[in-house]
Order: sequence, then structure tokens, then C-alpha cells
Amino acid sequence: MTTIDDTAFAAPARSRPNWASGTNLILMAIGAVLIVFCIVPFGLVIAISFGQKIEGAAWEWAFTFENYQRFFVGAEWPDTVTFLYLQRLGYALWYAVIASVLAVATALPFTYLMTRLSRAAQARWLVFLLASLSLSEVFIVMGWDILLSNRSGLPALFKATGLTAWLKDVGWFDVLREWGLANPRNVKFKPSQFATVLTMSYLVWPYAVILLYPALSRLDTSLIEAARTMGARPSTVARTVILPSVRLPVIGSTFLLFVFLLGTYVAITVFANPDKHTTAVSIYQSVRGASLNAPFGATQAVILLITAAVFLGLGQALNRASGGAR
Amino acid sequence: MLRIAGHLFMALSAVVLALPIVVVAASALNSGRTMLFPPEDPTLDRLWEFFVTETVWTTALLNSMIIAVGAAVLAVLLAWPLAYVLWSSGSKASKTLAALGSMPFALPPIVFGVGLGFFWAFLGALGTIAAGIISHGILFLALPLVTISIGLQSIDRANIEAAATMGATEAMIFRTVILPQTLPYTISGFFFALVLSFNEFIVMFFVSASAYATVTLQIFNSLRNGYTPTMAVGAITFITVSVLVFSAVARWGDLPRLMGADQSKT
Repeated sequence: MTTIDDTAFAAPARSRPNWASGTNLILMAIGAVLIVFCIVPFGLVIAISFGQKIEGAAWEWAFTFENYQRFFVGAEWPDTVTFLYLQRLGYALWYAVIASVLAVATALPFTYLMTRLSRAAQARWLVFLLASLSLSEVFIVMGWDILLSNRSGLPALFKATGLTAWLKDVGWFDVLREWGLANPRNVKFKPSQFATVLTMSYLVWPYAVILLYPALSRLDTSLIEAARTMGARPSTVARTVILPSVRLPVIGSTFLLFVFLLGTYVAITVFANPDKHTTAVSIYQSVRGASLNAPFGATQAVILLITAAVFLGLGQALNRASGGAR
Repeated sequence: MLRIAGHLFMALSAVVLALPIVVVAASALNSGRTMLFPPEDPTLDRLWEFFVTETVWTTALLNSMIIAVGAAVLAVLLAWPLAYVLWSSGSKASKTLAALGSMPFALPPIVFGVGLGFFWAFLGALGTIAAGIISHGILFLALPLVTISIGLQSIDRANIEAAATMGATEAMIFRTVILPQTLPYTISGFFFALVLSFNEFIVMFFVSASAYATVTLQIFNSLRNGYTPTMAVGAITFITVSVLVFSAVARWGDLPRLMGADQSKT
């Protein structure tokens, strides 16, 4: 590593004639580092995804589509067909869609209100948001786990305050039971899709605010004021002035957060039912966990990667299309 | 009316945001071995355990700190020349490299983690601290790259031209104009990388290969045996470090501008 930063800091010191070659040297050195560490790991995943498992937890290089076949129709195809792994990918998409939309939908009004505050107040909010943003997935899951677990936290609170009894009286308790959010005695939040999506949404909420912040803080306030002076109701202003002008960042952030959430691991293992686990959990099981089939783990990682790339590309294309239409 | 509703919404957001953090922090005060909320018989013994007596946690904390500091230094050292070339030349090659360097951060981390797991296994370095440092350095390269680029863009090019007209060499300009003006942004980038590396889980999970544990890994390992209040101290430590670091960035740097706020409004 030392060679790289030596050249980097020495380069500007050179006299002008050498400047261009110095720049190229830096670029080449950094390029080499980035290719080795950014491209090679992804390349290895792709290469190994065509590999073969050997009994006894090892694998060998090969060029076979068996792993891909297993992912889409199951290992025993064409005798029997199973969509287990496609279903897991489906759950990954499902959780990620709901959580990212929920996060952006609630972060949007919040960010708008935040940008109307004074600069100092904004800085204080940003410190709080960044601190929560950087907080590890592990801690967040731990916090919600305590909050939602049956012995302590919200279910205990529901019972103690008589909310459970009230829910039973008005009949909503049966609805909650149908949704799997209650056992015969009290409400229960885990395992459930509700807890999974809630935690995932919480996980990216500060990101959503940070992503929407630049666009909303550059919003032209004179337009809003003009609309208000002309007698437009606040809801009309929000619908006709604010929303159209932040449409692109809103779509863009939703796609980014969605892709980020595709690989969520800890929240899913803790909150989702094992029959509703996602590709990320499955990748772990293959690579490090019980089944030890590195090539198949790599195959699932490749498919997750392709899914992520497709959605990132789709988001960009959508951005460009609606950008051109205006 | 609408104003009140707005304030209420912001307050509610703050409460929900703080809720799991408060719960974890309060659980750390439990004197028993189980996590209960509200805590029973509050005590500060767990802090002592986390930082001093329980070697599992002190080792994990040390590993976390070595990796976070190492990765943040590495990320800044890689990002600086890249951001500088990107700013001074704006060439296509430098743009491609910047996009390449941001790629691991933009894609699902679990895929990068799996890839790095294979990568280090081939080099025979799987499960070494150095592998952990380099992996995080590359993963979080995008952060100092962004902050340093913002810093470089904020330099008034007239300053540089004035210095050049007065006979300053490129080295002098770099030392007297560029470096001081970008220093706050470099430090911000360093701390962003530091804090995120401290909290990162999934990449480290694959790269460490259970040979060593950082605090986040240790907490995940303990998840299966149930929580202990000592773990919660870890969470408090992390949130405290993050708040202090970002407050420092806000105090000595321009946090709203770093986050992309409109420059003209103050």
C-alpha cells in the first residue's frame, strides 16, 4: 500500500512537464488495487458458481449449470420440481419492497419538515440520524428483539395496560390472530413478517432521510409560497408543487434502499419464520453453515447480484426516462 | 394546526428512532444475567465487565478498534489520490475508477462478503486481521471519496491561480491551499469510514471465518445463547462513539453541506 500513497502525495510536487505522467502513474496504481479488490472477489463468485461440490465439504473447479438448475427448478429436475430457492428470492424481494417503500414514504414528510428548520437544528438532527444510521444491524435487531419479545417489551406492556383485554373486547384480537400476530393469551410479534419488515424499514430509515435531504433542502421555497398566497391548500401544494419536484430523488432512493435490503441477513434470521427465509440466509447456509456447498452458495450470490444490478439499472433508466420527459 | 401536526410527526419519528437504542441501553443496567426491560436492580457492573474483566469482550473490542482504524486510514489513503485526480483532471479513466471504487458499497454487502471470503481463502489469508482491515478499507472507500471530492469542489480555483501567479510551485499550492481547505472533509471521511467499519457485520462475518471476533460478530454469536446485559454495554459504547464522532464533524465541519444541503442558505 505504501507505494501507492507515496506516488500519490509526491505527484503534485513534480514540475509541470511531469504532471501528466505522474497522474497516469497514480491512476494506474489505484486502478490495479481496485481491480484486484473490487473486481476479483465478484469474479471469483461468478467463476465458483459454475463449480462442483465434492462430498466432504470441498469443491472443485468445473463448468456446470447444475447449480443454476438447482436454483430454478431443484436438483432432482426433471423428475421432481421444487421452487424453494426461487421462493426464497421472492421473499427477499417482497420484504425489501415493502420495507423500502415504507421507509421512503415516512422519511419524505420528515425530511421536508427537517429542511425547514434552522441550520443549527438541522445539524443536530443530522448527528442523531447519522448515529442511528451507523448503528450496526446487530444492535438494531437486538433492540427490536427485546421490544417485541413476549416476556418483556411491547406484548408485556399491552397486557399490563389492559390493551390486550380491550382488543379482545372490541374483537380486533381475532383479526390479529388471523394475521399471526397473537397467540390465545396475548399479542405476539415474533416471528412475524410484521416484525421483519418493521426492523428492515427502521434499518434504512436514516438512509432514506440522508438520500432525500439534498433534494428537499434545495427545494425552491418561492414556488411553495406563491402557491400558498394564491390560496392553495397545504395538501394541494404538497401534491402539485413539492411531490413533482422531488419525484426523481424519491424513486432513486427507493431503488437504492431496495437493493441494499435485498441482502439483509440478521433481521431475517431473527424475525422471520424459517419457511419464509430469504436468499441471503440461504447463501450463508451454503457457504458457511450446515450444508457447506460453496459453489451453490456462489450461484445464489450471483443471482442476488444480478437481481440487484437489474433493479439498479431499472431505477437509472426510469430516472433518465422521466428526466427526459420533462 | 398543520404546524403542530408537523412537530408531532417529527417528535414521533425521534421517539421511534430512539426506542430500540434506549431499550438496549437500559437493559445494560440489569444486575442479573437476563435482559429485562425495565431493568431489575440497576447496576453499572456490566460496564466494568465489558471493558475490563471479560476477555471475550475486551479482545473483541480491541479487534474492532484495530480493524476500524486501519480500514479508515487505508480508505482515506486510497481515496485521496483518486479524488484529487478526479478533481484536477476529471478524466474518463478517473471517473471509471471512482465508479469502480464505489461498487462494493452500492451492491448487497453479502455478495461482496462471499467474494472476499473466496478471495482471501485463495491467498491463504482468510481469518487474518490484515484481511479484515483491507476488506473494510475497500468496502468503505466510497465514503472518504465522496467527502474529499466535496471538499475539493469547495476550493475557489481563483485561490490556486493567484498562488500560481505569485510563483508558488505545485507542491506549495498543495501544502498551503489545497491541503488545509480539504482537511475537515478528509477527517469527516475518515470518521465516516471508522464508524461504519466499527458497526459492519456481514462482510466481517465471511472474512474473519470465525478465526477472531469483533464486537458485532461476538454479539451475533451470543444471539443464539440469548442476550446478556454485558452485550448491551457494547451497544451503548457504539452509539456513544458515533454521537461523539458526528458531533465533532458537525462542530468543526459543515455537516449540512457534507450531506448535500443548499450552500446559499445559512
